[in-house]
Amino acid sequence: MLDGPEASGKEKRIAMGTQVAPSSTQETMTPPVGVMIRTEDLWKTYDMGEAIAVHALSGVTFELERGEYVAIMGPSGSGKSTLMNLIGCLDTPTSGKYWLNGRLVSELSDDELAYIRNKEIGFVFQTFNLLSRASALHNVELPLVYSGVPAKERLEKAQEALRKVDLVERMHHKPNELSGGQRQRVAIARALVNNPSIILADEPTGNLDSATGEEIMGVFERLYESGNTIVLVTHEHDIAAHAHRIIHVRDGKIERDETVK
Amino acid sequence: MAVLSQPQVLLHKLRLGAGRGTGFWVTSREAFWIALEALRAHKLRSFLTLLGVVIATTTLIVVMSVINGMNLYIADHIANLGANVFILYQWDWTTSGEAWLKAQHRNKAIRIEDFEFLRDNISGYKNIGAEAGLGGTEVKYKGHLMYEVNLSAETPNMIDIGQAKVESGRYINDTDYAHESMVCFIGQDLVDEFFSSLDPIGKEINVNGIPFRVIGVAARIGTTFGQSQDKFVQIPLTTFRKVFMARPELAVNVQAWDAQQMMVLEDAVRALMRARRHIPYKEDDNFGINASDTIMSLWHQLTASIFAVTVGIVAVFMVVGGIVIMNIMLASVTERTHEIGIRKSLGARRRDILMQFIIEASVMALAGGAAGVVLSLLISKIVNIFFTSSVPLSAVLVGLFLSTGVGLFFGIYPASKAANLEPIEALRTEA
Repeated sequence: MLDGPEASGKEKRIAMGTQVAPSSTQETMTPPVGVMIRTEDLWKTYDMGEAIAVHALSGVTFELERGEYVAIMGPSGSGKSTLMNLIGCLDTPTSGKYWLNGRLVSELSDDELAYIRNKEIGFVFQTFNLLSRASALHNVELPLVYSGVPAKERLEKAQEALRKVDLVERMHHKPNELSGGQRQRVAIARALVNNPSIILADEPTGNLDSATGEEIMGVFERLYESGNTIVLVTHEHDIAAHAHRIIHVRDGKIERDETVK
Repeated sequence: MAVLSQPQVLLHKLRLGAGRGTGFWVTSREAFWIALEALRAHKLRSFLTLLGVVIATTTLIVVMSVINGMNLYIADHIANLGANVFILYQWDWTTSGEAWLKAQHRNKAIRIEDFEFLRDNISGYKNIGAEAGLGGTEVKYKGHLMYEVNLSAETPNMIDIGQAKVESGRYINDTDYAHESMVCFIGQDLVDEFFSSLDPIGKEINVNGIPFRVIGVAARIGTTFGQSQDKFVQIPLTTFRKVFMARPELAVNVQAWDAQQMMVLEDAVRALMRARRHIPYKEDDNFGINASDTIMSLWHQLTASIFAVTVGIVAVFMVVGGIVIMNIMLASVTERTHEIGIRKSLGARRRDILMQFIIEASVMALAGGAAGVVLSLLISKIVNIFFTSSVPLSAVLVGLFLSTGVGLFFGIYPASKAANLEPIEALRTEA
């Protein structure tokens, strides 16, 4: 059933070269309501030259429901970061299909992926990835800038997001004037501001001491309770333990998928 | 699996389009602030980067201003011989090259008989006057001596034709002319030198050792290209012929009532002069008829070549300036790869990043252009003290547009390089 319109869609894309019209036909295939993420046989292969190909992901298939709190766990080199980049639309799979919130995103153009990243995904990175020259408020506003929200509305929404992470009073500070925990909370506010479908956190506590790490995990817990879908990528067991489902990844494959709570 | 209906798909597309329409201004404004911030954050670097553009803009505007200043000056002082005046003279002022060499052999001076002949044989003119000159005259009053004074001999009606205006006293009149009176009309420089606290009228000055009584003072004319136009003594033409030179070479000034009549009179004068000098119809005039437009056309030829050279120089400066901007923008893209990654991860599209860097390059170049404008205004002020310069608005606009355009053009390559970065690669680059 799945390979009907998609297959022809892909051929059309090849036939038309790189000029791809906004993909409407691909989107018409919608997984069941409630499914936020669905991947089917995702592969990511890096060609290292000399006919050596490294498979970072080899055939990953899983589904994720709306409102889930999932941890993707695995040692370094297991492919969990690659998986997270694919889920976050920062990268495209070599082959396989990926639906996000009902859209087949694995075959979208760069600009369409940018649109998805902007609207559907909120990133929280290990190294925070805040713009050092911009204030906390402006950092939080950035996703709204790229969705074309006018200044006044932007300010309101950004303040609202900062309120959720208890940082309104420090919104005019620049990242280097904030503590690590505060920086990560700014990053979380930035991830929240556009009301994304999923929040994608890549080792969010990796650069924090354990007390601050717990504090940040508390913030994620609150977000989960208020209905957000969260995907956490980590290699630490006690961090993964906060999630309600843990997907273990090893050698580019899903090793184990367990529901914890 | 549910299938989106056609209207739903359409709606989605519409929403996408609408968001991008308003988004253009939002992201452009963001890009503008980033650009200003970048300029502010790296003041020295920006200054050095923009030096080329600053110099180019300054050069362009200063040259345009000086040419404009000279244009205004010519229009005001030189070409404006008085309304509807043309001058019959031995030479055509615009002749050059071979024609000039030929004219040197052929052309004959205009003499008093020519003047009288024309005065009596053409009709309808408003005024016809004649003047002769003698440069490098020495003028003495009591102990004071002045060199390099222009002595000119005039018919009484030259006050109505030429540039000089009476400030006090009177001009040479018909009686002075008829009686070859030893009177003179002097310029302001002589007043400054000799009569700073005295009334010059009625005083006697020595011109090349011959005493003349001052009957009037001219209003100040000013300077042309740094040379005073007020250093003159005017005496009746008849007196001049008696005392200094019996057969002077004349410039005959003919004033018409209007521009149309001027052309008719020019033709009449040419025809009469050719007949009088028996010039065969095939041959060129051996005299010159000069009007404001002759001078203006000569002048425009000259400025056009000055301007062409300037355009060349400015183009070279601009290209060099542009390449420096491109270089610094490329460095900036490398330096900010991580930032680009962050922006892309938050939903910046290629065109957003492209715009950001193009706007940054343009704003930078525009800032250079603006600095050039300020600098050229200052230089123009200084030049105007000893020469002439007037900044035309068009020069400022051209300077600003050109510099912005250079930034835009040379910003495209670095910007597209930034825009085409893969988000994940960019994000992995260490900040």
